[in-house]
This record gives sequence, structure tokens and C-alpha cells, in this order.
Amino acid sequence: MTDAITLHDITKSYDGFTAVDAFSLQVQRGTVFGLLGPNGAGKTTLIKILTTLMRPTLGDAFVEGHSVLTAGKEVRRMIGVVPQENNLDRYLTARENLALHARLHGMRPAAYNPRIDELLEMTGLAGRQHDFPDTFSGGMQRRLVVARALVHEPRVLFLDEPTTGLDPQSRRSLWDHIRGLRRTMTVFLTTHYMDEADALCDRIMIMDHGRCLADGTASQLKDAFSRAHTYQVEFRNDADRYQGVLAGLPFVKGVEREGSLFQITLADEESIKPLMDHLSGSDIRRICLKEPSLEDVFISLTGEKVRE
Amino acid sequence: MFRGAFSIWGRDMRVMRRSLVSELVSVIAYPLTLYLAFGFGLKGYITDVNGVPYPLFIAPGLISMTAVNAAFDESSWSMWFHRKVQRTIEEYRVTPVTVYDIVVGKIFSGFSQGAVKGTVVFLVILALTPFRIDYTNLPMYLLCIALSSMTFSCLGTICGTVIDKPENIGRVQSVVIVPLIFMAGIFFPLSSYPSSILPLIQLLPTTAVFEGARDALLTGTIPSQYLVNLVLTAAVCFTVAVYTFNRKMAE
Repeated sequence: MTDAITLHDITKSYDGFTAVDAFSLQVQRGTVFGLLGPNGAGKTTLIKILTTLMRPTLGDAFVEGHSVLTAGKEVRRMIGVVPQENNLDRYLTARENLALHARLHGMRPAAYNPRIDELLEMTGLAGRQHDFPDTFSGGMQRRLVVARALVHEPRVLFLDEPTTGLDPQSRRSLWDHIRGLRRTMTVFLTTHYMDEADALCDRIMIMDHGRCLADGTASQLKDAFSRAHTYQVEFRNDADRYQGVLAGLPFVKGVEREGSLFQITLADEESIKPLMDHLSGSDIRRICLKEPSLEDVFISLTGEKVRE
Repeated sequence: MFRGAFSIWGRDMRVMRRSLVSELVSVIAYPLTLYLAFGFGLKGYITDVNGVPYPLFIAPGLISMTAVNAAFDESSWSMWFHRKVQRTIEEYRVTPVTVYDIVVGKIFSGFSQGAVKGTVVFLVILALTPFRIDYTNLPMYLLCIALSSMTFSCLGTICGTVIDKPENIGRVQSVVIVPLIFMAGIFFPLSSYPSSILPLIQLLPTTAVFEGARDALLTGTIPSQYLVNLVLTAAVCFTVAVYTFNRKMAE
């Protein structure tokens, strides 16, 4: 068995609303898997089902071969969870938070104390281990939550929007920790940040309304869904005249203008040659293919409308 | 079995130890004030109740009241805080412990708080007042306190599990817990009640708590109807608390 996570036709409905709709998925061991989607897409519901916090209405899911329906305790032995909110115990010190988690996993002090030392070092919190989490910055609290999820050396780590609300430095620092876990365990990550998914994930799935919309590596998604025939052209002279010329060309599907800079979407790859024939080379300051971003893919699949 | 419950109880006891002194000051102040105000203030007017000096009549009830109040407070507020504010219940639930571990751990934390605080109030009343007891009666009294604290800890756990708004926990205390305590004859004999409602009052679990505690401390025995009431109420409350928590977590 090479799959760390398997979902078979998972459906979750509440009061007539379907949060996850017949969702199936396999995640290979050692993968950093990213689940992207707008608010309400069903990402957190899926994580709650996989971490046994919620039972699916239909279907079953397996973590390291254990069913979330019938072997919840075994599933929980295998997983570490970093929830959206820092649910640290503010009445325990950083070290005590980790020790309590270890005891809840049935670890003995001889096993968990060296592990906690190692994790506190790794997350840069060794010097603050006897302080209470309330005195930590948001980034430090987040690192402590990650350290806590790793105390019992889980095989699968779930990270639910791990960097939301962090400053850029803290985000980068947390990314480094997550990159460090690559190959040692399976990481299942949800995020709103496309750059985060792009930087960290071996495989990305975009979901909305409880269903999968796209699945692949970041570059596969960009290739498959981006507007591959969009060029940026900046004119040195006669920008107004060229706007009229472009509007009359049948193979030009769209023109967006900002001053002398035009974003031109062509019907296909072959249209670049006739386009150049209609533009005078001496009037062009710059022309380039617009590189697609993961965000372009995401927006094209899920729409631009703001979700509540 | 229940290793998780023991870990959660251990966490709560560690936190209690940290703030023990400040907590005890506030815990002692209330019953001690009542003891001084009623025990001494009314001593000139009420010399004894059924042959028992009035300060001695109210002392067992005040100690029991401290224990059950502490048990209710700890379990209700702690459960609510861990569930709604800190969300640490969610952290417990993604570890291999069961919901039974969590609820049993929390119930025993409430029970332990009640026992510790009741004991401290007992020692303070003993040290500061002429209140004296026959120490051979202590085991029965402790049994009564243990069952009472268990009941109130379970009631607190139920409130902390089902109530989402903190002000509603305060309302339950004002509207349910305090009247149940004060109606149960801490400060006056049950014979003061009209005979038509006395049987109802005698069925209250709090009557079993306070009358049972008084009889245990002063005579060394708990009347059988009160002992049965205490055991049954503790068992029913424990079952309901575990069921309620389990159901809430499954939502």
C-alpha cells in the first residue's frame, strides 16, 4: 500500500447543505498535498473527517489503511493536526503543552523529553520553553502548534491554513519547517495562498462546492488552465491607433489596456505571427508572453465573486 | 484504560496548584463570612437547633457548600472554556484518547477541586472557630462530600457541554444551583417547612447533600434515604454527563 490517505465517495451534508459531495482522493505516502479552495469550499470539512472530528454522511476514508469510521483511535495515533486556530493551552508553558500532547499519545517521559528538546530546538523555541503561549507572537504560537503536532512522530500531518494571519517572515520560516518534513511524512495542507501551495506542494487539488475541480502539480495546472496565448505588449508610440487596429483583428479574443501597456489574448498559438504583421516593430517597446500564475488558474476555476 | 483521563486530570491539577493560594483566599472568604455572620451574628437569637449549637449546625453545610460549588464551578467553566475559548477539547480529540477519557478527566478535576477546597474551608473553620467534631465521624462525612462533589461536578460538566454563552452558566448558577443549595436547610432545620412541601424538599439531591453531611459529621452515620439519594443522583448525573458530552462531540 503506497497511499497514506484514501477517500471513497465522501459526502457530508448538514441540514440540506452539501459541504462535501461524493469526494474521492488518494494521496501517496511522502507527498506534500495541497487542497485549495475559496471559503466554504469544503476543505476544513474534509480535514475534520480525516482527523475523526466529524463523521461523513456517506462514504469512508482511510488514513494509513485505518478507517475513520471504524478505527478512529488508530487513525488518531497516525496523525498530527495543526488546526486553523492556535488551540494552545494558555495555562501551560510551551514545554508543558508538548508534554501533555505526548502523554495523551501514551508516551512516557523518557521517550517524550528528548523529542520535545529536539522539536523546541527545531522551531527556535528552546529559549522560551518555560514561558506561556500568551506571551508569544503569532508566528511563535504557530510554530509551537506545529511542534506539538509532531511530538509523537505522526505519519500524516494535517495543516489547516497554517500560515493565515502570519507576517511574511513567519510564513517563510514556517514554510522552511514544512519543507523539512518533505519525504519523512505525508503532509495534507489546505491554504488560501497560491504562492504557498506553489512553493510547498508536490500535488495540488482545487475544490469548490464540495467537489474537485482540478488536480495535478502546480505546473500541470498552470499549463492546463492558464490563458496560454496572452501577451503583454507595450507601445512606444501610437497606442490609441493600435487599440483600434487590435479591435479589428479576428484572431484577437480580448484586449485590456493600461496606458501604453496592452494585454492581448489570442485565439491560438499560431495567431502571434499575423499579430506581429499588423504591428510595426519600431512602435513596440516590449512584448512578452504573460506567464500564468496558480492564482489565475484558481480564479478561472472558482470565479472572482467574493465568498462569505 | 482511562490513561487519557488521568493525563487531563493531571493537567487540571497542575494548573490548580499554580493558582492555589489566590483561589483559596476567594474560596474561603465566602463560607467564612457566612459562618461568622450567621454563626456568631445569630448565636444570641438561635442558641441551638434540635439540640445542636447553631454554629455547629451550619458548619457542615458550609463546608459541603464550598465543596459542591467548587466542583460545579470548575467543571462547568473549565469545560466551557476548553470547548469554546481555548478549543483544547479539539486538540484532545485528535489524539488517541476517547471522549470518555475527556469527560471522566474533567469530572474528576471538578471533584478534586471540590474536595481540596472543602477540606481547606474545614481546616480554616476548625482553626479560627470553636467548631469541633468527633474525628471518627470523618470517613462518613468524606463519603458524603465525595458523592456530592461528583454529582455537582457532573452537573457542571453538563452545563459546560451544552451551554455556549457564558452568561447562561451564571444564570444556571443563580436560578438552579443557589436556590437548590439554600432550600436544602443549610441555615435552618427542614422542620421549618410546611408539612405539605417537606416530602418534596427531602427528595432534593441538595437536601441529601447537606442533611447527610450534617448527620455524618455530627453522628457518624448518613441516613439511608439520603445515602441512596446521593448514590443514585451521582450515578444518574455521571451517566447523563457522559452521554451529553459524547453526543455533543458527535455533532
